[in-house]
Amino acid sequence: MYVVVLLMSAALGAGEPAGDQRPTAEQTRFFETSIRPLLLEKCLKCHGEKKQWGGLRLDSRGSLLRGGESGAAIVPGKPDKSLLISAVQETDNDLRMPKDGKLTKRQINELVRWVEMGAPFPTEAGTAKRARGPNHWAFQPPDRPPVPVVVNSVWPQSALDRFILSKLEAAQLSPARRADRRTLIRRVTFDVIGLPPTPEEIDAFLADESPDAFARVVDRLLTSPQYGEWWGRHWLDVARYADSNGFDENIAHGNAWRYRDYVVAAFNRDKPFDQFVIEQLSGDLLQFDKEAQQHEQLIATGFLSIGPKVLAETDEAKMRMDIIDEQLDTTGRAFLGLTLGCARCHDHKFDPITTADYYALAGIFKSTLTMTKYTKVANWHEHLLPSAAATAMKADFDANVAARTTAIAEFVVDADKLVREKLAGMPDAKPPEKLETLYPAATKAALKEQRDELAALEKAGPDLPAAMGVTEDKVVDIAVHVRGDPLKLGDIVPRRTPPIVRGPRTPQFTDKQSGRRQLAEWLVDPQHPLTARVFVNRVWRWHLGRGLVRSTDNFGLLGEAPSHPELLDWLAHRFIDDGWSVKSLHRLILNSSTYQQASIPASETISRDPENRLFSRAEVRRLEAEAVRDALLATSGQLETTMGGSLLQLKNRAYFFDHTSIDKTTYDSPRRSLYLPVVRNNVFDVFQLLDFPDPAVSGSNRATTVVASQALLMLNSDLVMQAATSFADRLLVEPADVDQRLSRLYVIAFGREPTGDERQADRAFLIGVAQAQACKTDDDTSRQLAWTTLCHVVLASNEFMYVR
Amino acid sequence: MNPIALCKPETNPPMPDYIASPLSRRTLLRRSAVGFGSLALASMLANESSSRASVDNPLSPKLPLAAAKAKRIIFLMMSGGPSQVDTFDPKPLLTRDDGKPLPFAKPRVQFNATSNLLKSPWKFRQHGESGLWFSDLFPRLAERADDLCMVHSVHGTNPAHGGAMMKLHTGSDNFPRPSIGSWVSYGLGTENSNLPAFVTICPTLAFGGINNWSSSFLPAAHNGTALGDASVPSDRASVKFIQNSKLPRDLQRLQLDRLNAMNRRHLSQGGADASLEARINSFELAFRMQSEIPKVEDLSGESATTRKLYGMDDPVTANFGRMCLLARRFTESGVRFIQVTHNDDKVQWDQHANLKRDHEKNAREVDLPIAGLLTDLKQRGLLDDTLIWWGSEFGRTPTAESKDGRDHNPEGFTMWLAGGGTKGGFRYGSTDDYGYYAAENKVHIHDLHATLLHALGLDHERLTYRYAGRDFRLTDVEGNIVHQLFA
Repeated sequence: MYVVVLLMSAALGAGEPAGDQRPTAEQTRFFETSIRPLLLEKCLKCHGEKKQWGGLRLDSRGSLLRGGESGAAIVPGKPDKSLLISAVQETDNDLRMPKDGKLTKRQINELVRWVEMGAPFPTEAGTAKRARGPNHWAFQPPDRPPVPVVVNSVWPQSALDRFILSKLEAAQLSPARRADRRTLIRRVTFDVIGLPPTPEEIDAFLADESPDAFARVVDRLLTSPQYGEWWGRHWLDVARYADSNGFDENIAHGNAWRYRDYVVAAFNRDKPFDQFVIEQLSGDLLQFDKEAQQHEQLIATGFLSIGPKVLAETDEAKMRMDIIDEQLDTTGRAFLGLTLGCARCHDHKFDPITTADYYALAGIFKSTLTMTKYTKVANWHEHLLPSAAATAMKADFDANVAARTTAIAEFVVDADKLVREKLAGMPDAKPPEKLETLYPAATKAALKEQRDELAALEKAGPDLPAAMGVTEDKVVDIAVHVRGDPLKLGDIVPRRTPPIVRGPRTPQFTDKQSGRRQLAEWLVDPQHPLTARVFVNRVWRWHLGRGLVRSTDNFGLLGEAPSHPELLDWLAHRFIDDGWSVKSLHRLILNSSTYQQASIPASETISRDPENRLFSRAEVRRLEAEAVRDALLATSGQLETTMGGSLLQLKNRAYFFDHTSIDKTTYDSPRRSLYLPVVRNNVFDVFQLLDFPDPAVSGSNRATTVVASQALLMLNSDLVMQAATSFADRLLVEPADVDQRLSRLYVIAFGREPTGDERQADRAFLIGVAQAQACKTDDDTSRQLAWTTLCHVVLASNEFMYVR
Repeated sequence: MNPIALCKPETNPPMPDYIASPLSRRTLLRRSAVGFGSLALASMLANESSSRASVDNPLSPKLPLAAAKAKRIIFLMMSGGPSQVDTFDPKPLLTRDDGKPLPFAKPRVQFNATSNLLKSPWKFRQHGESGLWFSDLFPRLAERADDLCMVHSVHGTNPAHGGAMMKLHTGSDNFPRPSIGSWVSYGLGTENSNLPAFVTICPTLAFGGINNWSSSFLPAAHNGTALGDASVPSDRASVKFIQNSKLPRDLQRLQLDRLNAMNRRHLSQGGADASLEARINSFELAFRMQSEIPKVEDLSGESATTRKLYGMDDPVTANFGRMCLLARRFTESGVRFIQVTHNDDKVQWDQHANLKRDHEKNAREVDLPIAGLLTDLKQRGLLDDTLIWWGSEFGRTPTAESKDGRDHNPEGFTMWLAGGGTKGGFRYGSTDDYGYYAAENKVHIHDLHATLLHALGLDHERLTYRYAGRDFRLTDVEGNIVHQLFA
């Protein structure tokens, strides 16, 4: 431990007291994580702004040096001469601090270390609420940068390419050559619709000699309904979509799928992104012409409702603030690329967001009704979506229930009458309160049957169409919760947006509305520095594998700086100028030379741009979880392309898991992965293994890991085994020879013909499998097995799982 | 064609494991630069931590430092909340004041309403040279009194199962965070390159489910590997996809060889990409795991004496006994964090009613197997560097719910440790006179986490991971190590 302390001190420059120099980043970090919280918690109550016992203040470097009645509190660089240190070490019986209990050894060591390094005391937050990093690039409206001039005038197809090329040229690098057509169509098809190209689509592209052949492929893909299914899924990552609430009482979001389908349709119809934002935050407050539009807008507010919740939280005040916190944090990450949640308990450590800013926004969500009941098990609000058909269905059902109820009542009256007649013949008998107990057995059974039927009918009753979503609640401004504690309230903060964000007009919040509408409109103000930048950066990330800002969910001070700030701003402006059209943005990127590069870099690039920060080549990328499964189904001919609707096997609000741990959800549908239930706490194992994100957290930058358990999945799971079997069936059903089948196998799975060597190796493999089985089965079975085994290898291979 | 002949000797050393997998470009390049597989795990981790530290956070040298007292942890998780005042924390005043009101305020937030004090239906006795107290529920465990380190003042989970389970496993009750086992895996890696570092046997899918053994934002390699779940008897619990039901091993070997050739060709056709190479290696590792895990699970080589020691000859103790025996076998195989969950088709220890009947049933199922595990580890010399951690998501109220039950109580309850450098026959902390609140030397769940990591030589303040723009820790911004627990 001692060694470590020395090492750390050395790293921080101990022995060279920082004096009044600006603290280094490391020193600031150390101070902010270890020293400031300690001073705040243990010292400032008595030696701070309000009280100065012994004439001592400990809230700035100046006041520490000045000291109090006993003299200077610290001598920078000399802990053994510093009163502060001897007081906390309790070496002097007359001066022992703090009064309410000795500091831990660690805390004392940290104070010693801090004094050793010269007691750097960054001047922000603690003493004044001055914002950190007010000039941070992401809080200023985007520039309109000029398109750079480049030397190579042949390569760029658009302004976008000039921004990329200009940086490459500055680094004396060239872009990679253009990818070949087979590579391109495989890449763009997976990229835009999440499925592999069919052999026919490949042939058509290869045969198209027109100069805009690729642009035509892009157009075809963008108009395919499968585009919305794939790009909607990207947004669902951001919206932390799930079909269960997760955490403790894990129950079914029986209507969340409507929000999912809304997102798919929004992408397919190229709903302007600003409209998309407004609807998700405040769709319930918008005008509408038709019922369908009203429903759509109500469904959109599901964005705020589908988050994870601890529904059995016994502290209702805490639950309410937890839910608001989750909404606020998700809204912050989804649209602003900021981690607002940090400011719930203290001013944001790194971003200029104060607790006041936080509770000013929290007031908006406190004025919003998300839950109808907070008592465990809590209940979320749903919008009813009445329609003629549903109303008729409900009326039918009600009539049926009423008829059966009446029938039972009449049956009881008749039966009672018989019993009474019998009792009348027995004057001593004292009739019980309920005559039913005296019915003959057959009557009892008949009655029970009728009642059971009614109960079953009621249980299976139609749920009226409804959607998860929010509505308005009592409009309030709320108080700062000191350290996030709902019982320790500070000043009330009027609802407002964080002042650090420069550009958009300041919205006016009223006592008539929660302010979600104003918040949404503020977000999509063309002058807003974050919303458009954050979104175009994500689209770039989803197309090219990494963002211009690599921390796609964090544009704050701890996020990464953009590699191409001018391009980011140019894209943001272009996006807004194009009416927030997402499809236009896709075209812009896909039809660029940047996107169409090969994955093999030009010769000098590997050493000079090893991390591809300059976008000097295409990324080699593994398919995402859903695309792996969809590609397995498509390749093996099993995929069913029906769109929309729910595959949940549970009723709304039914338990996914009770105490038995029995998993009642099945995933053996041939539908696209998008439609499989997303169960928090127990995500489908195939997805879990392939880096499906935690559906309790908003995100847009999935990880790609390689672990042995994925290999086990590919080797042994029913999903892959079944795909291999069906794929082999698909190859064997057509009359063909081995060479033709091998061609077909490679074209379907890899989008290319096999080489001579591959044919030879595969033939040897087929023979090997057949021989290993020779004595055990007949020829047909043996052939089937051989091809299945080969298909299995192909489906597990890197060429199938990766896109270049 | 002889299948044996197909099995080539390994010419390339295997990818060192499980750990080698968070595939950020930077990590990969760094690893590739030092050579895949050429380094021992420990030095590779050291390498990773130092380079990460120099890149990301000089204040956080990340790894360890202090000498480890233990090499691994076995967590015996008693799902549902065993009652401290009926097991290890006797309260004479509770017996005296049975039926009277609690003489001080109950917590602001309670799970269910409770009425007056309810005395324990069990007798307490002192055991061993240390004189630790045990109720009659744990006669066999009591024989190991001098190995146990009782912590009577644990507090700070949550009054509901879900929140409390997540707090217990991850330190957070309302955000998904990595499980403690994942942090251990991230910090220490595994001693066996063919096995994961974190294994959880028959965990419950309720109350947080996989969040309780998830690596969350840590690289996926640190996910807990589950053997079955609580709905499956332990003799049928295994790792998902570990066996192929249709293909014999010789055919799989043929497949792997063809796959390897295909992947090598593919690699040579494009720009070098470390993840493609890593994936090639992952298949070989998977193939070895396929034989390694069933070997650990195969108890046929265990003697009748050993089986009896774990209670596998008795239907009451057989299920949990098997889990404990598996835990010992994973211990021997180099796994770092092994969780064993005692959870039936209800919430095992959750006695809102029928305390007497059901606590007795529950204790009978685990008492002998746990004592057996301690005995077995000790006689094999494994107890010195294996830390046993027994506990639950909370304890129970000394006040009565219904006539003969107790409610959830996260305010003060008992956990115990054994082995791994802890003091045997030792008591730490206490609850108040009735056993409701932790009183002396309180140990918050964050403190406990800090202490467990400390035992493994991990500094809970430096074991951090950068995610979404900030450094995360198991203990958030809290946690004090309880040094007194160690010899």
